Amino acid sequence: MFRCWLSMLLFGVSLAGPLHAATATIKVAGSTTVLPIVAEAAKQYRVIQPGLSLTVSGGGSGVGVANIEHGIINIGMASRPLSDSEAQRLHTTTDVIPVARDAVAVAVSKAVYESGIQRLSLPQIAAIYRGEIRNWRELGGLDAPILVIDKEASRGTRHVFSSVVLGSARARAPGATIITGSNNEEQAVISRSDQAIGMLSNAWLNDRVRAVAVGDGENAILPTAENVASGRYAIKRDLNILVPKNSSDDVRGFVDFLRSDQGRMIVQAVGFHPVR
Amino acid sequence: MVLKWWLSASALLSSMTIVVVLGFLLQSSWPLIQQQGAAFIVGTEWYPFESLYGMLPALIGTLWSVTLALLIALPCGVAAAILCAELLPQRVRSTVRFAMELMAGVPSVVYGLLGIWLLLPLLESQLNLLTGRTLLAAGLLLALMILPTIMVLSEDAIRAVRQSQREAVKCLGIGWDATLWRVLLPQAWPGIRVAALLATGRAMGETVAVMLVVGSIDRIPEPFYNFLQPAQTLTSRIGREMAEASVASLHWAALLFCGLMLAMIAAAISLLTHRKAAAV
Repeated sequence: MFRCWLSMLLFGVSLAGPLHAATATIKVAGSTTVLPIVAEAAKQYRVIQPGLSLTVSGGGSGVGVANIEHGIINIGMASRPLSDSEAQRLHTTTDVIPVARDAVAVAVSKAVYESGIQRLSLPQIAAIYRGEIRNWRELGGLDAPILVIDKEASRGTRHVFSSVVLGSARARAPGATIITGSNNEEQAVISRSDQAIGMLSNAWLNDRVRAVAVGDGENAILPTAENVASGRYAIKRDLNILVPKNSSDDVRGFVDFLRSDQGRMIVQAVGFHPVR
Repeated sequence: MVLKWWLSASALLSSMTIVVVLGFLLQSSWPLIQQQGAAFIVGTEWYPFESLYGMLPALIGTLWSVTLALLIALPCGVAAAILCAELLPQRVRSTVRFAMELMAGVPSVVYGLLGIWLLLPLLESQLNLLTGRTLLAAGLLLALMILPTIMVLSEDAIRAVRQSQREAVKCLGIGWDATLWRVLLPQAWPGIRVAALLATGRAMGETVAVMLVVGSIDRIPEPFYNFLQPAQTLTSRIGREMAEASVASLHWAALLFCGLMLAMIAAAISLLTHRKAAAV
């Protein structure tokens, strides 16, 4: 038991990174989808403000919101809108600022894509996650069981995916085979399998992890930058940062940097669509 | 005088700690017990959004992964212990023992990563599985982690058998096989049992390595003995969900109840160890 706590503690500490204070410290934590943007921005901002110490860590949107509420961090990252109860608790104290727009891609293994599964309708995806379709053959692919990857319930990617595909942000997915946490973990599973389907932020797609077009027949839409910007792609969301209203000037400065032209370029370079 | 006082103060403080820990766990998980009775312990559905906190899937997952680990590690560990204690020359013996002690010192997250990069692909390709993230993967990884404990403690137990007994057996002209089964193992058995119980405790409490390979899905395998399916253990559930639960919520209480159950099982095991050890 004690070992379990200890390893959790060590795990937490290793995630949080060095927290010791330099002159001024800005702590950022939350969604692993927003993380690459903020991490890259932090790297560039350190050049401009060498006296500032910025630590950026993950944990998921739920963690970002919870830690902002508890005052543990200075900026939270969330890849979903606040839930009603969260908004109620936080709206007087915290600003929710969108920094980028992202699509949640329905990602499949390369082998699945190449066997002919290049588009899926929303009802088909829902049937997979509800456990009604269990073999790729039923969708015109190879005769192979589907490895259905669900995400931890607190993850923003899951909220968005689930509310569009399954009808509610908290819907169950009885067809799921396994549950993963971060985008990296899920990407690794999909790329190492020949039968997987999962939900991934656009920025994590690669040769072995392909997005299928979502929609019926000719109207199926790929999550490209244009389709996300125009709003035609269905499974999309704003990537937000949460900033307490009473933040220090140091924090404000970094937020302004994220929303500057340079910040927008970072957003684009990382693979998301900047918000005007 | 001062020394005695210091010794008793330290002893008292250490034993108080466990009372505080258990008290904290019970107090924190109390809201759940108050609201849902004890029925949730045998519930089969864990779904915090719907206030369903069935413990059975993770309990079965924990039970299976630990049982598998023991089934693999116990025969291997004891066999290695016999070899080291009885058959190997001194120099080889100390090398093997050193390797085992080194193995015990490797952090669990390293085993977890090894599991992801070596074990999972191997299981997938050899057993033709949909995913290698299964109870078997957790069991194999845990077996690796508890092997040193079992091996080192069992070896000590076998070596502790008195030399005069071995000589007596030799004088009677009894063969090595019979010596092993009739004299060495029965004499060393209490020590081996303690090794197994300690190893069980370690396997049960392991979090990070298991979390990375077990699949983390709250579902009882179908059928329940199918260890080639993904599952959830109590520790991996705590590891995955602790950060998302808001403090003092029902979800939080349920996760701490998982901790309480682990603590109680561990307590039962150490009571058992204690009694057996006292009987030696």
